[in-house]
Amino acid sequence: MVGAAWTIARKDLKQRLRDRSAYIIGIVAPLGLALVFGFVLNPLSGYEFDATYAVADLDGGPVSRIFVDNVLTNAEGIEVVEVASVAEAEALVDTEVTPLGGADDTNTADAAIIFPVGFSDDVQSERPVTIRVIGNQGSETDAGIAVALVEGYASELTSVRVAVATVENLVGGEVDRLATGVEVLQTPNPVTLRDDTASTKQLDGVTFYAAGMAIFFLFFTVQSGITGLLEERRTGTLARLLSSPITRASVLAGKMLSSFVVGLVSMVVLFVATTFAVDADWGPPIGVGLLILAAIVAALGIVSLLAGFARSAEQAAATGSMVGMVLGFLGGTFFDVSQAGGILATLRFATPHGWFMQGLADLRSDDLGVIVVPVLAMVAFGVVTGAIGLARLRKGLLP
Amino acid sequence: MKPVAIARVNLVRFFRDRSAIFSVFLLPMLIVLLLGAMQGGASVPKLGFVSAADDALTSELLSILQGVDGFEAVEIDGEDSAVRQVERGGLQAAVIVPAGYESTLRSGGDVEIRLVIRAGQEVQGIGEVIGAVITRQATLLRTARFAAQKGAGTFDEALAVAEVAQVALPPVSVEATIAGEPFVLAGLGQFDIFAQGMLVLFIFLTTLNGAANLIQSRQLGVTRRMYSTPTPVRTMLAGEALSRFSIAIIQGAFIFIGTWLVFGVDWGSPIGSTLTIIAFALVSTSAAMLLGALVSNDQQAGGISTALGLGLAALGGCMFPLAVLEMLSDTVYRVAHVTPHAWALEAFQALVAEDAGVADIAGFLLILVGYAAVFGVLATWRLRKVLVR
Repeated sequence: MVGAAWTIARKDLKQRLRDRSAYIIGIVAPLGLALVFGFVLNPLSGYEFDATYAVADLDGGPVSRIFVDNVLTNAEGIEVVEVASVAEAEALVDTEVTPLGGADDTNTADAAIIFPVGFSDDVQSERPVTIRVIGNQGSETDAGIAVALVEGYASELTSVRVAVATVENLVGGEVDRLATGVEVLQTPNPVTLRDDTASTKQLDGVTFYAAGMAIFFLFFTVQSGITGLLEERRTGTLARLLSSPITRASVLAGKMLSSFVVGLVSMVVLFVATTFAVDADWGPPIGVGLLILAAIVAALGIVSLLAGFARSAEQAAATGSMVGMVLGFLGGTFFDVSQAGGILATLRFATPHGWFMQGLADLRSDDLGVIVVPVLAMVAFGVVTGAIGLARLRKGLLP
Repeated sequence: MKPVAIARVNLVRFFRDRSAIFSVFLLPMLIVLLLGAMQGGASVPKLGFVSAADDALTSELLSILQGVDGFEAVEIDGEDSAVRQVERGGLQAAVIVPAGYESTLRSGGDVEIRLVIRAGQEVQGIGEVIGAVITRQATLLRTARFAAQKGAGTFDEALAVAEVAQVALPPVSVEATIAGEPFVLAGLGQFDIFAQGMLVLFIFLTTLNGAANLIQSRQLGVTRRMYSTPTPVRTMLAGEALSRFSIAIIQGAFIFIGTWLVFGVDWGSPIGSTLTIIAFALVSTSAAMLLGALVSNDQQAGGISTALGLGLAALGGCMFPLAVLEMLSDTVYRVAHVTPHAWALEAFQALVAEDAGVADIAGFLLILVGYAAVFGVLATWRLRKVLVR
């Protein structure tokens, strides 16, 4: 039985090797799309903050200079344009949007920061003081960052005021407010924020799409072998095959085996190619391999279920691509559906695609134990749907 | 009218297949719903707050965070659970306050608060906001520490004085205003931008998939048999093109009306958007004819049209809005405008965001008609040779 199954699979694979559409669906289409997504999204990972802020320092005192010369100049990606008047600053941020969308980049600023006359003296007194920020509506993010920077500095100044007043109150006399203020600023904050995002298990955009396209097209790639069975039934070559001493189980096993190999080759090629071509980072090969194997089992199961209930190869192909599309979209291969919240976010776990993507994300921890659940879930999909599908197909093979 | 008869037969054949009804009508609506829901879900980012200690400073921090506009702070039990929810997308960020937060600070020690943010550009900036909130709270503590270091008094004494001073003194304030024109996408609703993108994506994808029909007709010898009747090649071509075009228009009209009725999508001027749909349907039709002429195997055509349909859409701004592409990189933005998709989207965007009329988008429509003409001429030239072979 094994011999016959292998012979059938080998014959199918030779046929596949000559069929250009197998390469297109299995490799060219998903790789092409992964490259497109890589091209579009790679600038995102290399995205550098780049903003221009106009500063009208009408004060020119020590407190405003600390902000311009230290805070702004030391921040990365910020270009400072100093202007002499509020009107000039306003002109730089009050810009029109070009017809193609987006603000005209030349001679504009993303935000204007205005320090009023007497600012430094006022800060050292107990009078109210205000720094003005005018954001350019056309560049919301960069303007928002300017506001955040200024607010950060303002709250530092408030804190210095409180500290100076406290010291003066405790020692019972006036101190050098400017010098004390600088000392306060140099005292480290007891509470710090540690950004731990890098250590979390999330896929970057390029890897997301490389893996998403691979699993999306896998459900199309593995169809050929199984729908080929229906085609052979129609053309009568299957009847001739079954008149030889070959069991129905061998025929089915042969078809499944060839589909499995085609799926595996396509996934491995995509894994390797996207790793080198667009710097996709799938994770440790053993874990990725296990996830790929489980995904192929799931794909084979679902495709044989559809083929088992189809009347013709055309119908199997049509429902196959329909189901592949829906599962792919719901499973979050095109869009990160986990952001949808509610039912949609949970619904992805009703698809093998959702488990595959989650498995890859979890694999970020380098701990192979985390993929047990995704692998088992995908295998369960494959075994349940495959058992029903193969039973139907086997019955359909009766002469 | 022979072309109409040919188109009618093709249409009947096309819609008899139930999967066609799914991919033409249901799938686009499903995806607009999905994308709209994603956008809606992400519009109020959720921030998880984990605290091991139940002290006054921790509760104060939580209530300050809850008062900040732009996100919703919720209490989460357990650090691992919070990190997991960020990874799975349930939370956009999590702030983890260590045990003994207040007691460590009061005894003069340093405390580190952990922050985890969900990857993705839409939540950038949340870290800065959280950082500012924490700095504000730490002000008094730093003051007390500084005063104690200066030998002006004990930590507790200094803290008490500082608390009074903080209330008594006016803060250094910031007055933030905005100027200039709003960001291009600002005027668009939750579903608008996706409805535009998906309309363009699906008209092109469905029409291009129809190229397989043309190839089947050639393979099965339908076109050769038709040629033996008094039907010139140009009539056959017109019939095929008309069937592709009518499917494109039917789908375009369905998505246009469906998204308007179901999701309340704003399409701007109805005449302008109708003309844009017609112009883009023309481009799609001639692209499908060209593909049908160049490829000779219907299975190959299926794979190629899916890859081209999705790839050009991704490149042309159907999946990531053009304004986002422009922010990312000039090269990507320029390459996007090589695709007809980008020009159709420009027209749709102008109609909605800028309240443009037909005259304002005439340039975009001309470009689309230009694409249609170039593809059409190439396809006709090539098909005349292969159709009856």
